[in-house]
Order: sequence, then structure tokens, then C-alpha cells
Amino acid sequence: MTATDGPRQSHHLLLRRLHSLSGLVPIGVFLIFHLTTNASVVWGAANTRMPGEGLERGVQTFQHEVSWINDMPGLLLIELSLWLAIGFHSILGVVYAVGGKPNVGAYKYPDNWRYTLQRLTGYVGIFFIFYHVATLRWGWSFLVPGGTVWSHEYAASTLAAALRGSYEGFTGAGIAVSIGYFLGVTCLVFHFANGLWTSAITWGLTVSEKAQKRWGMVCAGLGVGLMGAAWMALIGFLLTDPVDARALEEGMLSGAHEVQAEQDEGAIGSAEPGREP
Amino acid sequence: MAIAYAHESTADQRRANRTRAVEGRTVLCRVRRCDGPGKAGRWESFKVPVEPGMNVIACLKHIAQNPVTVDGNTTTPVVYDAGCLEEVCGACTMLINGMARQSCSCLIDEYAPLEGDTITLEPMTKFPVIRDLWVDRARLFQSLTRVKAWVPIDGTYALGAGPKESPEVQQDRYDMSECMSCGCCLEACPQFTIEPDEASWDTSFIGAHAISQARLFNGHATGKELKNDRLDELMNPGGVSECGNAQNCVKVCPKGVPLTESIATIGRQVTIRSFTRFFSGK
Ligand code: SF4
Ligand code: SF4
Ligand code: FES
Repeated sequence: MTATDGPRQSHHLLLRRLHSLSGLVPIGVFLIFHLTTNASVVWGAANTRMPGEGLERGVQTFQHEVSWINDMPGLLLIELSLWLAIGFHSILGVVYAVGGKPNVGAYKYPDNWRYTLQRLTGYVGIFFIFYHVATLRWGWSFLVPGGTVWSHEYAASTLAAALRGSYEGFTGAGIAVSIGYFLGVTCLVFHFANGLWTSAITWGLTVSEKAQKRWGMVCAGLGVGLMGAAWMALIGFLLTDPVDARALEEGMLSGAHEVQAEQDEGAIGSAEPGREP
Repeated sequence: MAIAYAHESTADQRRANRTRAVEGRTVLCRVRRCDGPGKAGRWESFKVPVEPGMNVIACLKHIAQNPVTVDGNTTTPVVYDAGCLEEVCGACTMLINGMARQSCSCLIDEYAPLEGDTITLEPMTKFPVIRDLWVDRARLFQSLTRVKAWVPIDGTYALGAGPKESPEVQQDRYDMSECMSCGCCLEACPQFTIEPDEASWDTSFIGAHAISQARLFNGHATGKELKNDRLDELMNPGGVSECGNAQNCVKVCPKGVPLTESIATIGRQVTIRSFTRFFSGK
């Protein structure tokens, strides 16, 4: 090996391995938390601490989770590192993906389909995440049918309205967005589960074929679970009536103030009783 | 009858085909021809009477005796490469019904069992064609030199007896040692693409076979001496991280070389090596 090999190889392998790592941490870990939080609109129905029943409880549980996340310390830092990681993983991913020539036409093995799908779902995922973050986080409401702006104080109702296309009911464009969400999350969950499996080969954790199979079962299990959470959440939000949800969220907002007011023993809390939505 | 391409036909199907092969039949041999490097290709079909147990090479030899196509045009004998004729040298590898395998061990009975069935022969696509079915596998061998796939014993004095090898390690390494440098694993790999420019062979994907040979020699008591050199090369562009885990290689390897296990093992060795280099600088 000549001296000039040094930087060349460290950068090459380092970038490849960072690409693998960034997909797991922070992106993959975030995906797990994000999807389970979303699914709280459904599993929240079992949350007896919330008033009402069924989806009403779900809507409030979801709102409770969202508020909790919004109060997290260093949230912007977490967000920034996520955006950086996603940007890095996406750009390198595309660079790597264009170097290969999928050949499922000639070699129709399931593993070869996995390889090809990993690349396809990556491309879809980039578009989906961009749309998702731009509309629901950066407030690019011109991309949302009906122009709904997502708000973390009215998390379920604004999301439900964005998915339906309006507060009043489903519109054609709204259905298109909902289908887009279904495809987007499905692709991303597959991409993560499969990436988790291949990363174990890349890093050399699973060496023998048996170990790869065993780890494959774990990843498939996790993938099925996450897929369930993702679809469950989507169904939950599609069944959520934005107007009803809005009323529940209003209730929580004023309720939160009451609690706050009690805690402050009426000192400041009572200064703003009837808060406008 | 529609013929299943090799990749669609399982070993069971091929065995079944052998038992129902019709004696005294004539099959159509469809060959992709090319007059030389860079020249345009063309198809030519030949009628070949099949003898029991006939292989593809015998089929090509029959054509060479009387190279007349089904259209009645006299042409040249089909050019191909071969060596051992017993599936140990890898020279005769070509695409048979769309999938890479050895023409010396490929029986017509398994692919074209009935009267009038077609068997299609094409050169491999990941290596430059020299002529007809004969390709230049030089890059495959260059990959082996990149990872120093040998045991360093050259010297100016006798080195004496080598270290002992345990039977377990021997057993592990045996499967890898069966590689015959045929190129099937590269032909099937979506990450290994044809690279006509020889200058870029040092940085283009090295291929599953070379990764596996690096593991073979890294596991050898004397071959270990070059382990770091091999791993350093496999950390370079075109090294092990170029693999996309499609795992086609292991499925098409005619020798059953455990390629995906080798890729993962080298992945592990490279992980450890890169941490060592990072923290110790060596
Ligand atoms: S690993 Fe298998 S397919 Fe690849 S060159 Fe060796 S024998 Fe051929
Ligand atoms: S596992 Fe790697 S080397 Fe083997 S076919 Fe897939 S990409 Fe190629
Ligand atoms: S001639 Fe050697 S493998 Fe076929």
C-alpha cells in the first residue's frame, strides 16, 4: 500500500459506514418513536386517563404526546441533526444507488427484489419525507390541498384535515395525499427493516447464513410491527373527524390552562381565561 | 413448449427434464455471435441432433463440423473458451438460457428436453467480448492481485515447515478454496458493472470472488501475514462496501462458495481494522 492510499480509503469506507449508521441512528430510531407516537391515535383509545371513548381518547392521547415532544429540551437541535442525517443519508444513498444496475429481470431471486426495492423505496422515501416535512413542519401549506397548516396545538385535527383535503370532508386531492402517505410510510418502513438487516452484514455482525436468517426474522418482525403501527395511525387519522378533534383539542388547551392556573394558585393563570383558538 | 430460463428452473425441474428428455430429438441452438471487440452482435440459430448426455460444448463442436444456420447460410464455427471440460477451470462460462454457468457441465437434456426446444447461448455481459462466446476475464484476475490472493512464501532461503492448520479451519476454508474464477458471481451481481477502461479497474468493484479469496487467505496461518494489506485494499473505493447485499452471487456460484458469509466476514474484519487504524494509527 502506498502512502496516498490513506485518505482515499479512510474517506471511502468512512462515508459508506456513516451512511449505514445514519440510517439506523438517528433516522431509524426516530422512525420507531415517530410511528409509535402517531399510532397513539389508535392505541390511545385504551388510555383511561383521557375523557371520552374510542378515538376521542386517541385524539387526546396523541395531542398529549405531541405536546410532550414539543416541550422536550433541545428540540431544535434534535430536529436539525435529524434533517442533517436525512440529507446526508439521502444524497449519499442516491450516489450509491445510481452506481448499481438492478437485474431482477434476469435474476428473480427474492433477495434480488429486496436489493432493488431498497433502492426504489429510498427514492420514494426522499420525496415523501420532503413533502411531509415541508408541509407539516415548515408550513408550506400551498402544497397541502385545502391549504391546511399543521399546528402542534391542534395536532390531530390539522393532520386529519390535511389528509382529507378539507375540514368538511374528503376531497379528491385529499385522497391522493392520503394514498401518498400510505405509500410513503410503507416504503420507509420496508427501507428501514431491510436496511437494519443488511447493515448487520455490512458491519460484520451476522456472518453465518444462519445468523443472517435469524437476524432477518428479527428485522422482519420489527418491520411488520412498525408497518402495523404506521397503517394503524393512518387509518386512525383518516377516521378522525377534524371538527370533532378540534373541539377536543380546544378542551385540552383550556384544560391545560386550568391545571396551570391551579398550580400557580390563580396568580397568573387567571389572567387569560377565554383564549381564542 | 416454453422453456424455463435457467434461473427459473430449479435443480428439481432440471432433474425432471433429464428424465423426460426425448431420445433422437433435434433442438435449436440459438447463439449470440460477434466478430470481434466493439463489433455489433447478431443471432444465429443451428439445428443440432442431440445425443444422450450431450453438453453445450459438444453442441458447439457439432456446429463447428458443419456451420450452417437454420436459414441455410454457411457461417464460421462459433468461438468459445474452454479448458478442463469438468467444471474446475471456469473458462467455458457463458449465459445459457440467460444465466451464467459452465457450458462443459451444462447438459442439453436439462434445458431442452423435447423435440424442437431452443437453447440460447450468449457471452457473459460483464466482461468484454473477444469473439462470439469468448470473453476476456482479465479484470477478474486483476481483482485477485488487488487482494493479494496468495500465501507469501517466496524468498531467498528455505522457510522450513509452515504453521499447523487445524482441521476446523481447513474445513471452513475448503469451501472457499473451490472457487474456479469463473465469473458467474460477477455476472449476476447488480453492483458489478462492465468496465471497459482498464485504468479504472483499481477502483471499480472488486467482486464477490475476490472478497471471498481475501477471507480464504486471511484465514491461512501463513497467508495472514498479508491480512492488513488485503483489508486496506478492501476498504478502498471498489472494495467490500461496494456490495449491495443482493446476494445473487451466492445463488449462482456453481461451486457453492459461501460468498455472503465471506462478504460479512470481511465486513467484520474491515470494521475492526478501521477502528484499529483510527485509534492506533496503524
Ligand atoms: S466464487 Fe463461485 S461464481 Fe464466483 S468466480 Fe468463484 S466459483 Fe465462480
Ligand atoms: S451480495 Fe454483493 S457481491 Fe453478491 S451479488 Fe449482491 S451486491 Fe454483488
Ligand atoms: S471447461 Fe473448465 S469449467 Fe468448463
